[in-house]
Amino acid sequence: MTEPTQDRRKERVDRGIKVRTDGVYAIASWREMAYLLAPRLTLIIGLLGLPIFLTAFPYWQKVVSIIGIYALLAVSFDFLAHYVGLVSLGGALYIGVGAYTSAYLNTWLGLPPLLAIPMATVLGGIICTLLMWPCLPLRGVYFAIVSLMFPLLAARLIEALDILGGTDGVLGVDGLPNRWLEQYVLLGCLLLLLFGLRRLVNEDIGLVLRGVKDNDQAVKASGINITTFKALAVFIASCLGCLGGATLAHIYMWAGISQFALDFSIIPIAATVVGGGGTLVGPVLGCLILVPISELLRDFGTLRIAVYAVILTAFIVFKSEGLMAYATRKYNQFERWVNI
Amino acid sequence: MFEARGLMVFYENMLALNNVSLSCGEGQIVGVFGANSAGKSTLMYTLAGIMLDIQKKEAMAGGERITIRGALSFLGRDVMQLKPAKRAEAGIVLCPERRRIFPESSVMENLRIGGYLAKPKEATETLDYVMTIFPALVKLENRLGGFLSGGEQQMLAIGRALMAQPRLLLLDEPLLGLSPAIQYWLAKSILDIRNQRGTSIIVAEQYARPIMPIIDYGYILENGSAVVEGTKEELLDNPDVKAAYFGTN
Repeated sequence: MTEPTQDRRKERVDRGIKVRTDGVYAIASWREMAYLLAPRLTLIIGLLGLPIFLTAFPYWQKVVSIIGIYALLAVSFDFLAHYVGLVSLGGALYIGVGAYTSAYLNTWLGLPPLLAIPMATVLGGIICTLLMWPCLPLRGVYFAIVSLMFPLLAARLIEALDILGGTDGVLGVDGLPNRWLEQYVLLGCLLLLLFGLRRLVNEDIGLVLRGVKDNDQAVKASGINITTFKALAVFIASCLGCLGGATLAHIYMWAGISQFALDFSIIPIAATVVGGGGTLVGPVLGCLILVPISELLRDFGTLRIAVYAVILTAFIVFKSEGLMAYATRKYNQFERWVNI
Repeated sequence: MFEARGLMVFYENMLALNNVSLSCGEGQIVGVFGANSAGKSTLMYTLAGIMLDIQKKEAMAGGERITIRGALSFLGRDVMQLKPAKRAEAGIVLCPERRRIFPESSVMENLRIGGYLAKPKEATETLDYVMTIFPALVKLENRLGGFLSGGEQQMLAIGRALMAQPRLLLLDEPLLGLSPAIQYWLAKSILDIRNQRGTSIIVAEQYARPIMPIIDYGYILENGSAVVEGTKEELLDNPDVKAAYFGTN
């Protein structure tokens, strides 16, 4: 960055539409409508088009599903961390619970995958919330540690007690009818939940949740039971994760303890840092970058983790706002030099 | 001894300090008065260098872009680009607004942290001095900082700043949230510190009444500009100042 001369400074100016209306969009022309729609349409068309663009590369098409699952987890992490103030390192718990629930619904009750997945989403969300309930009064690093423990505990319990299929996992889970359905179920849900959550955090309930993050004592003083609201937030977040987990079980046609692996807890956090925390869309963008990198580096084995660590460190040190926050700013504002 | 010329601070496009110049002679007490949002804290942060730190943090997090312009000289040395820690080493010590004491350290530990830069002999001597001017702290030595009352916390904060051996002590709203009696008592202590140790002091405050009698020179900040300046008598004679800060006509 070059140091500007003594008597000038760089000014940031909001682009036209925001200046005139300040948030309430009075849309006056096609140009302004396009300005507002362009980023949203890019996301929707980009995500929905991804499987089609990759038709020629079946392997990468498979990766799209993995991206979708990680993106769901990352969005749920971002929601919990930046709108409720609960840093949950237990993304793997949601995946694991979702996967096992859906697998059992499918193998025991014989429900078809398309019915088992939504049921596992809600059921898994309830199970995760009940598990997390005792630690909801905890804050900050204490909640983070406890939530990190859960998936590890679950995996070891299943292994040691040889319950839920033990180390073999649950075999014979039905796959989804075809690959297109599998990807569009994931991507469609992802988009719906993304826009839904964006709406939710600006509703009354979202305001309360953000209040809990900023100052929970003030929220308590306003006569609101914060544990209920935290539980609700955890339920929403774990539903997102369980949806990913349930789909994963049907993609692999198997549920096992590797679905409690640490990867599911760590990569979403990395994606959130890269994409920009608190933007909800940022983590999806982060997953679109990080998951393919992770696939490309598969041949290098454990060096993968090293590359990850370098990327993560670089982002935290040099661009801690994240890509999405940076892009949003550039899109909404322009800069010019002005004399002081 | 200390001189600031043409200080300008922008928070993004908002002008928080507009061309503020102020100076403080050796052993003087200078008052900076202004209502909320006049720019007192911004001024104190800029003088102490904390603003550079805030600027960097905001830039990293992609928040507001803070622009700082102007010149600061301290004992004939340009200190504008010095980091806050280096400025403290040079002798410019800030006692921050809202005290910012270390709540989980005891009173004694708080003071010892303040004396980190001082030589051991100076530190012991200053510690004794702090205990003499603020005798209330003696009994509280082992109490945790977070459990002190507002007045005690403020004494501790000033004491901690003194431990760093300031040549120039910056007090940001030292009277915030204190009862009128304690406000006057504390103002007297500030005067004592100057008289007994010869420390130059800049006080930013919105309660002009207790502070006005102890200052040698004063500035009135309004919307980021220093609108009036003068000696104590000149300020007290200015009808606008009287109306705004003393409620009399």
